[in-house]
Amino acid sequence: MRDAYLIGAGQSDFGAFPDESYRSLFRTAFEETTASVPKGISRDDIDEAYIGMVSIGGRQIGLPGPAVTEHVGLDGVPCVRLENACAASGYSVRQAIQAVRSGMADVALAGGTEVMNDLGRDRARYWLGVSGEMEWERMAGTTFSGVFAQIASAHMAEYGTTSEQLSHVAVKSHEHGAKNPHAHLGYECSLEDAESAPTIAAPLGLYHCCPMSDGAAAVLVASEDVVDEYTDDPIRVAGAGAASGGIGLFERDSYTSIPATRDAAAAAYDEAGISADDLDFAEVHDCFSIAEIVAYEDLGFCDPGEGGAFAESGETRLGGDLPVNTSGGLKSKGHPIGATGASQMVEVFEQLSGHAGDRQVADATVGLAHNIGGSGGAATVHILEREGSA
Amino acid sequence: MTPGIAAAGAYAPRSRLTGDAIADAWGQFKAGGIEETAVPGPDEDVLTMGYEAARNALDAAAVSGADVGWVGFATTNPPVEEEALLPRFGEMLAVPETAETTMFTGSLTAGVRALRAAARAVDSTGPALVVASDAPRGALDEALEQGAGAGAAAFVVTADGAATLDAFASVAEPAAGTRFRERGSDRSAGLGITPFDRQAFESTVTRALGSLDYDEAAVDAAAVQATDGRQPYRVTGALPVSGEDLKAHATVHTLGDTGAASVPLSIAMALSDDVSGIVGVAAGSGATAEAVAIDVTETVPTGVSLDGEVDLDYASYLRQRGEVTGGAPQGGGGYVSLPAWHRSLAQRYRLEAGRCPACDRLNMPPRGACSHCNALAEYEPVELSRTGSVEASSIISQGGAPPEFAELQGRSGEYATGIVAFDGPDGGSASLPALFVEVDPEDVAVGDEVEMTIRRIYTQEGVTRYGFKVRPSA
Repeated sequence: MRDAYLIGAGQSDFGAFPDESYRSLFRTAFEETTASVPKGISRDDIDEAYIGMVSIGGRQIGLPGPAVTEHVGLDGVPCVRLENACAASGYSVRQAIQAVRSGMADVALAGGTEVMNDLGRDRARYWLGVSGEMEWERMAGTTFSGVFAQIASAHMAEYGTTSEQLSHVAVKSHEHGAKNPHAHLGYECSLEDAESAPTIAAPLGLYHCCPMSDGAAAVLVASEDVVDEYTDDPIRVAGAGAASGGIGLFERDSYTSIPATRDAAAAAYDEAGISADDLDFAEVHDCFSIAEIVAYEDLGFCDPGEGGAFAESGETRLGGDLPVNTSGGLKSKGHPIGATGASQMVEVFEQLSGHAGDRQVADATVGLAHNIGGSGGAATVHILEREGSA
Repeated sequence: MTPGIAAAGAYAPRSRLTGDAIADAWGQFKAGGIEETAVPGPDEDVLTMGYEAARNALDAAAVSGADVGWVGFATTNPPVEEEALLPRFGEMLAVPETAETTMFTGSLTAGVRALRAAARAVDSTGPALVVASDAPRGALDEALEQGAGAGAAAFVVTADGAATLDAFASVAEPAAGTRFRERGSDRSAGLGITPFDRQAFESTVTRALGSLDYDEAAVDAAAVQATDGRQPYRVTGALPVSGEDLKAHATVHTLGDTGAASVPLSIAMALSDDVSGIVGVAAGSGATAEAVAIDVTETVPTGVSLDGEVDLDYASYLRQRGEVTGGAPQGGGGYVSLPAWHRSLAQRYRLEAGRCPACDRLNMPPRGACSHCNALAEYEPVELSRTGSVEASSIISQGGAPPEFAELQGRSGEYATGIVAFDGPDGGSASLPALFVEVDPEDVAVGDEVEMTIRRIYTQEGVTRYGFKVRPSA
């Protein structure tokens, strides 16, 4: 099996863009990505493409992948759309890594794009809510935020996690996102702002929930055989883990842990030969603040039940022992469903390349990206390291 | 052997609207003699209320749905005008598909007619289940709506029931009805010719009672049709009991006009009060009347839950009734096809889980590989307990519901949803997501005990999906 490397990554701004389409946003991400390749790249070099998307509110369920690659002049390149809810482009990255490692491709493009802000409120709510167990969770009147609120209620009942601890996650993410020019909600918020915000799905308030964003992101993955043609500072995919699990929360033995994350993390750590202690920073899936707290525990950043206290400790802030979501995370940077997993890789790429600006983690050499779909029916964990420095 | 009532059950929605609240809103209250009315929840209809009453009756009788051989369902307000409704109702109670089912509708006498039909059928069919459930509506500014209530009564009738159905009598006059509902309308209306209305009621009721063959001395309770709180007392002259005795079991004063369930509800009340004999008479709009005489030879077990819990203000009442809320929003909603829905009815109506033959754990829903040991095996069907405990919960804030629940939320306000673990019959449990009713969402907490009931989920393609919801344990 060949080694795979990240040679470029880029994204559009995340936000609400009435003048942009899912194609034009992807074009921006694509151009940023190719421009980020240190020694440059020609479109002719791209062998495969994988596009993650929940299908932009149902407008292009058939063939949205080729619709995007055609738009950026990649006619002829095999392309497929991947759909795993919010983990769509985490999986598209995994697919690109597989293609490269297997030898079928030397350079593969992976990315995602989504436009949700041009939908009426009800249609958007429909499309946000189709990733749970439709026949059961949805029929009980539950929304996407409702399912994560249920996770929060169980975490609070089992471990005494508090609303204030959830708010600490939001404050930290906004602090980071304010330093990210691509962020949808790039402003800071206080603990009081977060605590006094309107309730969305109790026990979750507005600041415990990510926004609905438009945006696109992409990365280029190259094989060990060709990586030198594109960069002298290669970033190696040290570990790639993925897993799936019951798509309904009620079907799982625990509501305070996501088994797919644990399984994906175990595979990624094992392949990389490291543990959570070796990480310099992480991008974790924080569609809701409780998701970030559960991720801390499932990814081994702290013990089960300690996620709330870990958020409160400040260790996950820039300057802390393990900065988490330096990009602002889904909470502040934004959450264009299909683009989210790829945009996490963009942050990891920029941190490891030393191009993260005000958000730069000093001496960042090993980073992790964690992406989940729905309430945890699918998960990917990728560990990347700056070659020769880990 | 004379067939008789072996057990009775009754149910009324918990919301109440007082006559005072209507008087405040309208400047007057037109439904005389009614203190308050029962208002169905936004997800309740005659079928769900009938389920509640039937459950209470079957539980009181210690009879399982599987033993029932005949079902009669009486209402003047079926949720659809054309549909075989009773197979779904039977499925909710696990009544065998071979049971005979009959709808009684079109007149306020439907409840007593169903009782009569059950008495005739029961010898050859085995235990019969009679359900009378109604929720009339009228124009907002008229007495009929202002007095409109809701409720359901149910009886298990057997060949040897303790309250024997001694005699029936009916009368029909070739008269126009004094109360009617036009095709396509969900609002009943009345003639409003006061002397004629009264005379038509008194005449038919008196004549039916007059031709009823019963021992007046053995009767100490009466159940008389009540569209308002004064009407029943107009015929005390024809009854063997006093106005006071009549009032003792009348439900109209606290539930309002319960239509075809009016007389059955009073019979259920009387049975729960341990009376020795009952005479009942239902009036069908001045054109018909149906009377019944019941001899109570020994105490009949009953499950009667008619207490109100929440007083609505008038604006909340209008909202709960759907008078001031929009319909379902444009833009689509979660879609589960009817065949897919159909395949899961045993789960949604009766919490039928599956026991994994490999690891013995319960799976809910019982499909696919075992969620505990991954065995791909045929599950053994297992009915879960109807009570459970809350494992996780959240409140879906106003305006935050999925589109297909927007109408419900418009009418009910914010609601709670969560995950409930239901116990298996021989240990273990299985969990399902559930929507909470009859509770302030703020009061739902992990660890709470709840019980299931059946409510409307939503309507798509003109078909209402019924399914379980949960409420705090009684």
